[in-house]
Amino acid sequence: MPQPAPAPADAHDDAQPPLLPSWRAWYALVLAALAAEIALMVAFTRYFAA
Amino acid sequence: MSALDWAVLTGALLFIIGYGTWRTRRAGHSLDGYLLGGRQTRWWGVGLSIIATQASAVTFLSTPGQAYADGMRFIQFYFGLPLAMVLIAVVAVPIYHRLRVYTAYEYLQSRFDRRTRTLAASLFLVQRGFSNGLSLYAPALVLSAILGWNTTVTVLLLGTVMIAYTVSGGTRAVTVTQQGQVAVIFAGMATAGYLLVHYLPAEVGFSDALHVAGRLGKLNLVDFHFSWTDRYNFWTGMTGGLFLALSYFGTDQSQVQRYLSGQSVTQSRLGLLMNGLVKVPMQLGILLIGVLLFVFYLFQPAPLSFNRPVYERVMHGPRAADARRLETEHQAIQQAQQEAAAAFVQARHAHDAPAQAAAQQRLQLTQASAAGLRTDWQQLVQQAAPAADVKDTDYVFISFVLRYLPRGLVGLLVAVVLSAALGSAAGGLNSLGSTTLIDLYRPFTRRQDQTEAELVRVSRWATVGWGVLGIGFALFAARMENLIQAVNILGSLFYGTILGIFAVAFFQKHVHGRAVFWAAAATQLATVLCFWLTDIAYLWFNLLGCAAVMLLAELLQRFWPEPAKRVLAPA
Repeated sequence: MPQPAPAPADAHDDAQPPLLPSWRAWYALVLAALAAEIALMVAFTRYFAA
Repeated sequence: MSALDWAVLTGALLFIIGYGTWRTRRAGHSLDGYLLGGRQTRWWGVGLSIIATQASAVTFLSTPGQAYADGMRFIQFYFGLPLAMVLIAVVAVPIYHRLRVYTAYEYLQSRFDRRTRTLAASLFLVQRGFSNGLSLYAPALVLSAILGWNTTVTVLLLGTVMIAYTVSGGTRAVTVTQQGQVAVIFAGMATAGYLLVHYLPAEVGFSDALHVAGRLGKLNLVDFHFSWTDRYNFWTGMTGGLFLALSYFGTDQSQVQRYLSGQSVTQSRLGLLMNGLVKVPMQLGILLIGVLLFVFYLFQPAPLSFNRPVYERVMHGPRAADARRLETEHQAIQQAQQEAAAAFVQARHAHDAPAQAAAQQRLQLTQASAAGLRTDWQQLVQQAAPAADVKDTDYVFISFVLRYLPRGLVGLLVAVVLSAALGSAAGGLNSLGSTTLIDLYRPFTRRQDQTEAELVRVSRWATVGWGVLGIGFALFAARMENLIQAVNILGSLFYGTILGIFAVAFFQKHVHGRAVFWAAAATQLATVLCFWLTDIAYLWFNLLGCAAVMLLAELLQRFWPEPAKRVLAPA
């Protein structure tokens, strides 16, 4: 069974995400949001349990 | 339900499904058009589709009940998800897009061989085929208990509607309807949360509610203590949860198909990252509704059991006298609980620390008594009605909706449950049809000259077949409660192995087909044995299974290298 032909690499896709300067910045945003949420939840747990 | 509720419910569902079917009436006869919506979906469509496929009816029925009973610690289960979204966006998305595959398993043939692809696809089909049936059965069960709907009719109706629009419009129809379904879900849950706070006594504010819940251990969001047997803590979330999310979003076709339909690498990546940003706050909101329900029922009379049919059966059964005694005790505890909760809020407003501490102690004592009473009730249910479900947490939220929400909104909230059921099951069904065609039918059929239109027809029939099987399984599951749990766990036991195969494909470029195939087969067997013989929480099997496949494949590759003629060039 022949395999599907690979699509031409879309250099624009990898290099230029919208809104932020790079994909690294997007990944950092998602991970920073997670870290902030966890920090907030730790603070909430301690504040409301006290 | 009132006539207005029925109008809202049927109106919302008919509009969403009708609009989705109409928008996608020309699904096309090409494989790209039918299986991947012509690869035209924008990032927000991809993101909403991912969210709708993951959020089943159980999410909205069980999760608030879980927070009601156990607090918010379940949120930690999702801590690994954003990290998994980033890893999949970096590693898997560019590869899948570059190869223009229809399914994740198709990639395994170009990387390894056909039998490894078939093994992974088969493991997926078995677990998704069964669990898809359950995603129809779970809401039907709860709605039948609460609203008196017939389970068989509900399953048949939901299943037929789902098959009809999935078969007619393919992936595009699933994606478009999921957008409407997510809109109904968010609107319904936000309204329920707002009204819950609004229905608290006038002197109890949102902040008071959180303080009461916190003092009673319900805001236990993050726990850093490690335990192999504790299912929800920070470490299980960041490791087991991460590997589960990697398996589910990276290798489960029901999710992979959502982002393969993206217009480009960028659109697929952004859809995944959107899910990474939205998921934790979304689950937090649903769990918060459960905690607010807990506080609500500190001030309002809560029933002895939220599962009304079981309650009635026990109250009118041979152990009715014992049941009535428990009911009397329950009412006394409720009264003490209401007084202690009111005293706590009053002391808080007066900044009277000693009175606050005393009220907290009284509240904790009433909670302990309530817990003891609940255990007695469950034992009584087991004796009086052995076939009945002793757990009533799945009924907490829907009971509140039916009893306290105004007319019209009840219909909206039932539409939330049914939308979630349809959205999730349709995503799964769509992926079952695609995998059957691409990974089982096409590689093995002798008819190599079939046109794309003929292949689309095969996929449509496969989708119908899986849909009918799902309905059949849902109806069969109604008679075997233990089977449901077994199927849920079965899925988790497969995920580690499948993820291991993909991890080897992505990261161990020197390992070939034979090594990974036997490593996967041995790991799957060992996982099932470990599950039977040990107490390890099943979430860990995602991590252990993946690690075992990677390690075994590495060893087999070194000590049992594949003959040169069998080795395929890596993709």
